[in-house]
Amino acid sequence: MDDLEFKKRAYANPNEQSAEFLAAANASEERIQLLKQLQALDKRVAAAANSITAPEGLAAKLKAVDSNVVSIKANNTGFKRYIAIAASFVLAIGLALSPSLFSPRPSAADLQFHDDVLVHVYKEVARFDLSREDVSFTQINTVLEREAGGHFRDNERIKQLHIKFANGCNIASNSRGAHIVLDGSKGSISVIVVHNSPVSTTFDVKDSRFAGKIIPFGEGNLIIVGEKDEPLEAYETVIAEAFEWTI
Amino acid sequence: MSETPVFDDSAKRQRYQLIVDTLYQDVYRYAYWLCKNGALAEDLVQETFLRAWRSLDSLQNDKAAKAWLFTILRRENARLYERYRPDIVDIEDQTIADSFDNEPDQRMDRKLLHDAIESLDKDYREPLLLQVVGGFSGKEIAEILDLNNNTVMTRLFRARGKLKHVFFPDGEPDETLDEPQYE
Repeated sequence: MDDLEFKKRAYANPNEQSAEFLAAANASEERIQLLKQLQALDKRVAAAANSITAPEGLAAKLKAVDSNVVSIKANNTGFKRYIAIAASFVLAIGLALSPSLFSPRPSAADLQFHDDVLVHVYKEVARFDLSREDVSFTQINTVLEREAGGHFRDNERIKQLHIKFANGCNIASNSRGAHIVLDGSKGSISVIVVHNSPVSTTFDVKDSRFAGKIIPFGEGNLIIVGEKDEPLEAYETVIAEAFEWTI
Repeated sequence: MSETPVFDDSAKRQRYQLIVDTLYQDVYRYAYWLCKNGALAEDLVQETFLRAWRSLDSLQNDKAAKAWLFTILRRENARLYERYRPDIVDIEDQTIADSFDNEPDQRMDRKLLHDAIESLDKDYREPLLLQVVGGFSGKEIAEILDLNNNTVMTRLFRARGKLKHVFFPDGEPDETLDEPQYE
């Protein structure tokens, strides 16, 4: 192992225990010294980092995460149980009559995708919120074609939107997407087209700040997210009608 | 820790409590270094364990619990705080003063280390702490951070290079540190 390779591995992990690395370390006094120095540094870093301790009582708080549910279950005896059974029947009948019962629910992968979408939007919001310049229709289509594999048809309604940001994005691993941003009435609206496995059903994106939808959309997914209370239906229709996959 | 699938609530609860006991200090520590504030770290850890409780059944092997919790924690941090919390207090001096080392020299050294670790760019600080504090391998760090292994190795290399320069300034300058070594 030459010096450069040794140095790379020593800095990346001075506690590596492979026979090859240890033999290389013993090849010269200089290497032994470097390794000792890096190992000493690691000990100091670990000691400093580990000097942080959790506040007293945190473990108890964490363990009490679902105690209310448990105590309610434990107290469900006698009359309360009858009430609970009756309530369950009412709930079951209500659910059976509800159209939502027949709608597929988002899968675990869909929910993970939902979280990834929000992380991405938060990551980008500082960039696009400040943006004020209109992006040309040609530029938007260049980004859409390059990043997502599609484009907007020549559509007057699309051209009327004030699109101020267009860029590639990598929300989902191993897939590319295009993120365009337009001005809405409450703030910026993100429209993201990702070429990946479509989600199992249309479902809401929601957290304390943003709201929107993830929609299975041909070769991938269409995501529309705006500030809470932003009316997004009109945008959804315009975008869905105008976008065309080319891959 | 058990690797038995969970069938009832009490078994689930027992399993969860064991995970809390074993790992809450590590998770808190990581949260603290991630957001650099005690109160936020505590909130973050509570959110993390709440999510972990709800989806405990998806954890197949308790040996993977630490990496799983760290991944949840990073995601929660990004979702809740990373981009839009006000940039409040940095690593608090109070914590260092309250630490186990009462000797002034040790406290100074620790303060210097805290400052040095904190001054590392997050891209370098995270993999270093995962390796040194979390005890994760390069491959595991790559999975937690969603990076490839070579990028992790490069970041570890650079993180140590920067810290070494702070603590051993008399050492010969290392001309290889600025070059991308793995990517």
